[in-house]
Amino acid sequence: MTPLIELSGISKTLKGQGAPRNVLSGLDLTLHSGQSVAILGRSGSGKSTLLSLIGLFDRPDEGRYLFCGKDISRISERRAARLRSDEFGFVFQRFFLLKQLTAAQNVAMALVNGQGWLSRRKRRARIMAALDQVGIAHLAKHRPSRLSGGEQQRVAIARALVRAPRVLLADEPTGALDTETGNLVVDALHASTARGCGLILVTHDHDHAERMGTVLRLGEGKLHQAGPRVRA
Amino acid sequence: MALSGRFRSALVIGGQGIRARKLRTLLSMLSLFLGVLAVVTVQAGLEIANRALLADVELNRGKDGTTILYVPPSAQTVPVVLETVRDVPGAVAVIQASAVIGEPGVSPLYCELDGSCQPGGGGRGFEGPKSLDGAQPPPGQAIAVQLNGLSGDIRQFRPFQADAGQWLDFSGPPSLSPSIVLNRSAAKAFTQNRVPAELQINSGAQHPTPRFTGVVHDAGYGPFAYVRADELLNWLPASELANQNGPGVMVLLAPSARGVEQTLRARLTGQGVSADQFFTETVNSREHYVDQLNLLRLIFFGMAGLVLLIGVAGILNVGLATVGERVEEFALRRAVGMPRLLLAGIVLAETLIIGLLTALAAIGVGIVGLNLASEVLGSREAMLRDVTFPWQAGVAGVIAGLAAGVLGGLIPAIRAARIPIATVMRA
Repeated sequence: MTPLIELSGISKTLKGQGAPRNVLSGLDLTLHSGQSVAILGRSGSGKSTLLSLIGLFDRPDEGRYLFCGKDISRISERRAARLRSDEFGFVFQRFFLLKQLTAAQNVAMALVNGQGWLSRRKRRARIMAALDQVGIAHLAKHRPSRLSGGEQQRVAIARALVRAPRVLLADEPTGALDTETGNLVVDALHASTARGCGLILVTHDHDHAERMGTVLRLGEGKLHQAGPRVRA
Repeated sequence: MALSGRFRSALVIGGQGIRARKLRTLLSMLSLFLGVLAVVTVQAGLEIANRALLADVELNRGKDGTTILYVPPSAQTVPVVLETVRDVPGAVAVIQASAVIGEPGVSPLYCELDGSCQPGGGGRGFEGPKSLDGAQPPPGQAIAVQLNGLSGDIRQFRPFQADAGQWLDFSGPPSLSPSIVLNRSAAKAFTQNRVPAELQINSGAQHPTPRFTGVVHDAGYGPFAYVRADELLNWLPASELANQNGPGVMVLLAPSARGVEQTLRARLTGQGVSADQFFTETVNSREHYVDQLNLLRLIFFGMAGLVLLIGVAGILNVGLATVGERVEEFALRRAVGMPRLLLAGIVLAETLIIGLLTALAAIGVGIVGLNLASEVLGSREAMLRDVTFPWQAGVAGVIAGLAAGVLGGLIPAIRAARIPIATVMRA
């Protein structure tokens, strides 16, 4: 079966104000449909850089990136935008909800993005289905200021799910939440894999990582199988 | 379909952006308002001035495209001209004669445009009738006018504005008591000087009693009176028609009746009138004034453009600040699949909507201002009387608003499109 994502020999050097830093070096990763992968690693190990390469925010310096068997390593920005819209869902540590919009309107951001146009009725149906999927359909008309942190993150997840993506990328989605709320968020994310969605979760939280099918650790620019957890 | 989706997306999101930042939108509109209002005012002013200028010229000389054929006076000329233009649509003959209305056998008053009169022909008036013995008659209660005998309705060429009463009726048989329509200048003279109702045409011995039926504004420079040509000829002696100093004749022809000119020339030449005695002129006032107006337009639009530029700088300033404030939003929108071009389109849509709203506000203020000016100053300034807001000023306002929107929004739009998506990862 063709993997959803297949990275091989991916390298990335970040060029900032200081000396160039080799963040990823010959990294390999495979993600299948319905598979969930947790990526652990120290701050600055390159987790977010890896996620930005997978999410087509950036391009690798070297290596090959296959999506559903097609090489998209050097894809144009226009096609990348199309793929981000149709195939990927993103959840970030900060929720990035627009405070002037309601929960439903925030979810609609992913639908009103210039990649096709849905009638108001269809759009509303999909938005409500996505909110219902994360259990907050009743909060559709609430603005972010009236929602708790967990509810806001679930709105962000609904925004990621509303176009029924094949891959869900979550960058420390529970970082700003308490443990209990974080668990609810991870539940909502994990539920998407039951529908065949591939999930990559970047996290510092071992408990959340262990709920994923595969746990990898990023170090020295490469992914390794995570060792057994050492408890204090 | 894709374009339609992007266009709709840009409008929806642009509208959301404007609603979310009402105060900022208002400030942007304020900075642009004066500039657009300046453009609207200049365009409206020039159009009104243009119309007023051309309207006066039309009243005085005729509509653009009118051909005026001046025919030399001779005994044969008048009957041939009247015969040729009779029942021809778009052709009117005018027989011009000097006349005095009032006491017979006196030196008439010669009146100015403002109605002030003085005896002895010191004004810009027309030659009054000469006394039979050549001696200067004593001054008396009479007013000199230029009488225009018309073969048809001249208003198709010179759209006189009716001030009072009725225009000439050409439908019935000619009356022995000529119906006369005065222009404003003549009406003023007759209002200020009471004279007997007795009409003396050139040196004619018969003095009919005229009937004043109306007053028109013809933009004439002195006292004029209009009468049916057949009613005039009833009282104009045949000797006057043959007189070299007798009545002048001209024919006004619409472009559709240019063929009449050839017929007239042929018939008059046949009557012994030399071809080089004809003089033809085609009214083309718009072209005559267009250069002067274009220079004015250039100067005023240059000034309005400077004011508009300040407004553009205001929009640019607010736009750049807004993009700086919305970096995360734009990065997120790109992350969820929005193309760069559409992101730029959203910023441009916002500034275009602001420009359009400002234009509508400026046009609204322009309309209200013009109506107010017309009501308050209309009685003093003829140009502002019953004036309507010219549509060209509205179009100029909308164009100025949209252009300012594009100019002010372009750089912020480019900046928005260049925001890296990774911004959301690093936040």
